[in-house]
Parts: sequence; C-alpha cells; structure tokens
Amino acid sequence: MLKVLIVDDDSEFADISSQILEFIGHDTYIANSVADAKQWLSVETFDHIFLDFMLPDGSGLHVIEHANQLDKKPRITLITGHPLIKSIIADLSIPDIGYITKPVERADFEAVLSQNKSAKKTTVTKTKQQEFSQHFDCLIGESPAMQSLYKMIEQVAKTNANVMLMGESGVGKEVVAQAIHNASNLDKPLVATNCGALSKDLIGSELFGHEKGAFTGAVASKKGVFEQANDSTLFLDEVTEMPIDMQPNLLRVLENKTVVPLGSTKQVKVNCRVISATNRSIEDIASNNILREDIYFRLAVFPIEIPQLRQRKDDIPLLVNYFLMQMNQESQQNISINQQQLDKLQSYDWPGNVRELRHVIHRAFIMADTDSQEIVLPERLHSPFSTQKNTTLSHGLTAGQTIEDVEKELIKVTLEEVDGNKTLAAEMLGISTKTLYNRLNAYEN
Amino acid sequence: MQQQQSITKLVHDARAPLNQISMQAELIKMMVEQNAPLDKIQQTAAKIIQNCQKCSEELSKISEQARK
Repeated sequence: MLKVLIVDDDSEFADISSQILEFIGHDTYIANSVADAKQWLSVETFDHIFLDFMLPDGSGLHVIEHANQLDKKPRITLITGHPLIKSIIADLSIPDIGYITKPVERADFEAVLSQNKSAKKTTVTKTKQQEFSQHFDCLIGESPAMQSLYKMIEQVAKTNANVMLMGESGVGKEVVAQAIHNASNLDKPLVATNCGALSKDLIGSELFGHEKGAFTGAVASKKGVFEQANDSTLFLDEVTEMPIDMQPNLLRVLENKTVVPLGSTKQVKVNCRVISATNRSIEDIASNNILREDIYFRLAVFPIEIPQLRQRKDDIPLLVNYFLMQMNQESQQNISINQQQLDKLQSYDWPGNVRELRHVIHRAFIMADTDSQEIVLPERLHSPFSTQKNTTLSHGLTAGQTIEDVEKELIKVTLEEVDGNKTLAAEMLGISTKTLYNRLNAYEN
Repeated sequence: MQQQQSITKLVHDARAPLNQISMQAELIKMMVEQNAPLDKIQQTAAKIIQNCQKCSEELSKISEQARK
C-alpha cells in the first residue's frame, strides 16, 4: 500500500481519483491548492504525488520544489487535462517527473504506481546508500570520537610513519588500516596478515618469504608479505601474538628495510608502511613482556586508539541503518528498525563493539517480522563479554577476602545473570551441575 | 482567430465533464467487482448523468459559437 497525495483544484476529479486509488489498495489524501499540498507534506510522508500543473494559488512546480526538499522525496506524476499541455510540460524536462493525461483510468494509476513500487526497491536503497557518508571509503560514524580519528588518519596518511592501532576486539582495526591505506593514495592494494593465526614454523616464511627447497614442503619459492606489500601498506593484525623469539627478525626488517627470505642469502629491499594492530593495552604490552620495547617503538611511531562503540553510541543508529541497508540489498528486502529498538541498542554497552552490533543486527534481520517489516531484537541483549557483569564482580572484590567468599559471590552473580538457571550457571562457571549443587548446599549449611 | 480561441475554450470546458464521466464509469466497474454498496453505485451513476448533461450543454455552446 502506498501513501498517495492528489493535488488538483478540480475537486470532483480529485475525489474520483481518490476513490479509484483506494479501491486498488492505496491510502489517499487530497489537496486543492499549493498551500494545502504543502500543509499535507509537512505532516505526512508520501510515496507518490499526482499533481495538477495549474493550481489556484500557484503552479505545480511550487509543490515539486517543496517536495524535493523533503528527506524522503515522493515520486511525482503531473496530471494534465490536455495532451498538448502534456507535451509542453514534458518539454520543461523536470527530472524524475512522470506525466499522465485526463481522463485517468484505473490501468493508468496502476501502471504509474507499479513503476513507483519497482523503483522504490532500487532508488530508495540508492538514496539511502548516498545518505551514508563513508569516510575514506570505508568508515561510518559522525561522533566526535570518530571525527578525531578521521583527523589522525588524515595526518598520518601524509607521512610514511608506521602506525599501531589499539582497541578492543571488534572496534574495526582492519577497517581503520584500510582507511589509512585509502587515504595514502597508493596504487597497490593493502596486504594483510594475522600474526596470531600463524604457526611458529610458518611465521618466518609468511613474513619474509622462502626459496624453493628452504625447508620440507617448500616446493616453490614464495614472496613474504613484506615483499608483497612493497610500495604499499602491510597490515600486521594481532602483532602482539607473535612469538617473542620471532620478534628480532621483525625488528631487522623494520630497521634495515630489507628482508632475507628463508633459504636465501640475498637481501631484498622493501619499502612499505607497516600498520600493526593489537587488542592489548599499552600497560599489558609493557608489563607482561608481550612485545619487545624496541619493536614497540618501531611499530608504534604513530599509535592510534580506536574508540569503543560505547564511547560513540550516537553512531549506533547510523551503523544499524547502514547494516540494514546492506542486508536489504543482499536479500532484496525492505526490513527496518523502529525508534524503540534503536533506544534499546543504544542503552547496551556493546563489549564486542561494532562486530557484536553487526552480529545482533544480522540475527534480528533473519528473525524479522514479515508483517511489520521490522527487525526482531532478542528480549535481552547479553554477551558473555559484557563489562556490566565484570564491573559488578570487580566492585564486589576487596583485598583480603577469602577465596570461599569470592567463589560464593561469583556463583551468586552468575546465577543472577542467568535468572537462577543452575545448568546454565554451572556451564558458565566451568563446573558440573552436581558441583554447583554441592557448593550451594554447603553455603546453606 | 478570436473565434478559434473561443472554440478552444469551449472544447476544454466540454472535456472536463467528459473526463469525469470516463473516470466515474471506471469507478462503477470497480465498485461492482468489489461488491460495493448499491447506493454508492447509484450515486456515482447519478454523477455520470449530471456530467453528461454538462457535456451536452458545452457541446451546444460550441455549436452556437461555430454558427457565428
């Protein structure tokens, strides 16, 4: 069902048109003047306007001009009483305007509005896509936290300094790396590798390459990621997960800008910006000997802290609508979200950041109500990584408490979290249900 | 020239009730298809008759004008 506005000073025509349109299942409104039309447009959102060109208080062009300034622009069809007028108006070449001539038959209305429906699927998504300004072609968000991130990206992109991206899991470190690469205007693509996913035996080969026969299974020579990223950007994700004994090799590349592939004696010059990423804090890196100090300073010439989603909750509606636009496009649907659901999403702390938000929206999209065409969120947003739970516990802890007291508190908090479900609580605590019952009985005694 | 302009205006005036007749007939077809109340159908049919009379009057005016 479309919401249609008929603007015509011929009230009899407007009335019959309205009845015909209602019979074919549309919601119609009537305006007899430019002023009436503007009034309706200020209080209702229309999918389509059937518009007379000559109106008592102005021209249909005034209505077109007004409608084009609206957030959701309706499609417009001009209705003329004479075929000659139709051709004169058509000569005006007003973009995106259709024309029909009186008398208008049911088939004419249906033809015009079916174009409207099919166009709705493509043009609305196109318009929506245009609504999302993607910074550096990949980042979404207009919050102050993101604005300062954009400023840093812009500044560092002008240099070839190595960048270390820090931030919680799911904040979008790889996307920020891509943004820096995009802002650097390099011709070659970004090369990415995950240091945490490589086995100790393979990491040298992955980073620096190898010659044929360098080790068992090296049936051909292979370029390492440093060489692949020559004159471009190399993204080393989870760099802090690199075994500490492999780190001196990395330091050598960063200092000398040369690599020696495994099994080779030849030095290969490499020229690339290294963007590394970690979800560990600087304190953790420094105090737990996770990354050698010399490597840290080589990699983190320009450290960037990526904001957590809970620090930029204003961006949640923008992100949600962007995800929905992508999902709608992929599945040719028109699922939306209401304000109440957005409020709910904004009140949650998102320990898993944008990745968790996307996951929740994807699930809610799959569960969407086909009647209302709206997503269906779970009754309660919850993640085992939620900081709300951690806060409760850490606040409850005091130095000198007995282990038994802490354990008791932990069980209590866990049971509260799962609404008293002992099986689930035992599973979360990593103990058997029997052990949980034994503990609870002991506390009662 | 003036004669032609007058006739053009009269034709325009005759076209208006003719357009209404066409659309009202369309509406009656739809009403019948969807079992609309009989009185609504009768009201619409009455409007067709009114518009036919209007149209007839306008055509008479054209005829008079053409004789001048």
